[in-house]
Amino acid sequence: MAVNEEGLMWVEKYRPKNLDEVVDLRDIVTSLKAFMKNPKIMPHLMFAGIPGTGKTTLALCIAHELFGPNWKNFTLELNASDERGIDTVRERIKDFSRYSRTGFGDAPFGLIILDECDQMTGPAQTALRRIMEIGSRTSRFILICNQSSKIIEPIQSRCAIFRFSRLDKQAMKEQLQCIAKKEKVKLVPEAAERIVDYSEGDLRHAINALQTASAYKEGEVDEKTVSLVIGEASPMQIQKMIRKALFGDFMEARKVMYEIMGSFGFSGSEIIRQVQREIFKMSDLTPEQKAELSNVIGEYDYRLTQGANSDIQLSALLAQFGKFGKAIGETY
Amino acid sequence: MKNDLLLVEKYRPKKIEEIIGNEEAKATFVEWLKGKRKSKKAVLLYGPPGLGKTALVNAASKEFGFSVIEMNASDTRSEKAVNEIAKPATSYLALDTFTSESKGNVLFLDEVDGIAGNEDRGGVSAIIEIVEKAQVPVIMAANDPEIDKLRPLKKVCLLIRFHQIRLPLLISLLQKICLLEHVKADFEALEHIAQNSKGDVRSAINDLQSLSEENHVLTLQDTMALSSRNKDISQDETLRGFFSAKSVEEVSSLLFRSSVDYDEFIMSVSDNLPRRYTNPDELAAAYDFVSKADVFRGRIGTEYWHLLKYFFNALSEAAAVAPESYKPFELISPPIRIITLFWTKGKRTMLDGICGKIGAQCHVSHSKAKHDFVPFVKMIIQKQKSTDLISWLELTPEEVDFLVKMNRY
Repeated sequence: MAVNEEGLMWVEKYRPKNLDEVVDLRDIVTSLKAFMKNPKIMPHLMFAGIPGTGKTTLALCIAHELFGPNWKNFTLELNASDERGIDTVRERIKDFSRYSRTGFGDAPFGLIILDECDQMTGPAQTALRRIMEIGSRTSRFILICNQSSKIIEPIQSRCAIFRFSRLDKQAMKEQLQCIAKKEKVKLVPEAAERIVDYSEGDLRHAINALQTASAYKEGEVDEKTVSLVIGEASPMQIQKMIRKALFGDFMEARKVMYEIMGSFGFSGSEIIRQVQREIFKMSDLTPEQKAELSNVIGEYDYRLTQGANSDIQLSALLAQFGKFGKAIGETY
Repeated sequence: MKNDLLLVEKYRPKKIEEIIGNEEAKATFVEWLKGKRKSKKAVLLYGPPGLGKTALVNAASKEFGFSVIEMNASDTRSEKAVNEIAKPATSYLALDTFTSESKGNVLFLDEVDGIAGNEDRGGVSAIIEIVEKAQVPVIMAANDPEIDKLRPLKKVCLLIRFHQIRLPLLISLLQKICLLEHVKADFEALEHIAQNSKGDVRSAINDLQSLSEENHVLTLQDTMALSSRNKDISQDETLRGFFSAKSVEEVSSLLFRSSVDYDEFIMSVSDNLPRRYTNPDELAAAYDFVSKADVFRGRIGTEYWHLLKYFFNALSEAAAVAPESYKPFELISPPIRIITLFWTKGKRTMLDGICGKIGAQCHVSHSKAKHDFVPFVKMIIQKQKSTDLISWLELTPEEVDFLVKMNRY
């Protein structure tokens, strides 16, 4: 890539290129290295774990290890949540395997990295299983997902599953300090602490926050700047929608909801996930109240998957918030 | 404003110059009427309704001293009827020229595309015959000249096309009317009316009148009540019946009788529910039923239509949560969702493009890019003067501008 490195997003700039550069995740790296000694024995892999814990990074490392600098020629990177349907996935994988029969030279197989597999529906996964069978002579799959339980059994049984746990706070702080040092930015320990708390074990989020904070002030990242950045990055409209609903202004809350859906193209389930997250961050609710709201959200999250129209389910949830707000007599 | 007269009547153009837009079409028509019609005896004005076709015929005839014999083809279209009315007009009217200052007559057949179907057999050929025998100019107007039936007419007619009125012209006309009627209207409100009318002057003026009837101030908010044109009336009636019903039984029998589209109907119910139930407890209870109805709708899919009764029952429950609290209210329409999606489409497309570019460079899905990158990239771009990140992400200047100005979600 002939790009000025200064301009990169740091998450990419400091993404490890091969397994040796990965400092954490020792158990997983050791197993993967064993496969690399004799790639032919490498099975399909499944990486499962919460976001920002290194799943995509390790998948790309494997591509680097297997194919060297031209890894892109031998790797098909797909994102299940971006591709329109299983048919697109099928077509692209078919084309890729066809090409792989003739085009890989020394490489033992082509690599297909399929991200966010758990976003696929049951039927789509069944189709994926067949695709894996068709492609398995010439290709290997790395399936990436947040929850392996959302992947159907037949696929799980065809893969070696690696579970990525939440990154250790200390390790994350070290990573951030390491990047800060290379970028010649002084990262104040309290600021690092704040970033790590905020990012909830998601290193990608943490690095993005660090880079943004460093853009605010030359050479130093302090806690104040970090707080500012985090405040700016928080989903303000979602918070506004929740508060309006709890306060009993249903019409306004719903208007905000439509704005979020319309202007930003968020789906109902994305919004409901954010709502859940924001509710737990709200300091003016007691733990019991949060638990109660969470039950309500859970119910509507489920109905969302069953129903036909996410607008209606979200509106219904907001109406429940109104009832809840009235009951606890909260005034915001 | 209070008017005894419909605004469309009051401001109907009386002179050619008062008709807005379609300058070329107007000029061609005037040329033809003034005598350069030797090559073609008839003229066909075509284009969507409300652009001034009829107005032009009337205004131009008046200005050049012709009397108009009008025949509305959608009333009487068969060969016999056409002959009865049109033929006398074309053959005997020369008498007129001696008795008045009139230069003669023009025969005006409006809505000629109304000629269709078996009962009108012969209508088109009768018109052609009239055109061929006519001693006077024959003017026809149609909304859709693409219909096969009218093809023969094209051969004997000069075709003049009318285009939709461009938005700025239409808005300035509305502004003029507002000024004369003492209505204080926001530009955005008029813009919305104009947009909603799809370039149809008549419907735009009608909308302006209905919105400002009781009011001398008009904001964008007021125009949101504007119903999109050509709407099914039965939907509104069903909604009213739905909300004013006294019992679950009453609602379900109403729903079973009605022919509304279920998916549109449940959306309208959802839109209007907060107007019906202002008490949060009632609203929550009603919405719970609507939500259940939607779940049944999801299960029905395209296949299990026998579940429709559960959908209706759940929806009926929503209408009857608190019959005693019912007060008449104004319905919200058109659907909020459709309005929002319409107004925000540009934003969404732009954001999707940006997310795609971030996703390609940073190995994340569009949705992850939206959540985890967009807010940060926006701030970095705002703070950093450096353009390296922008060029690395291959963002266009428009995209950068959009990001910087974008509201937070």
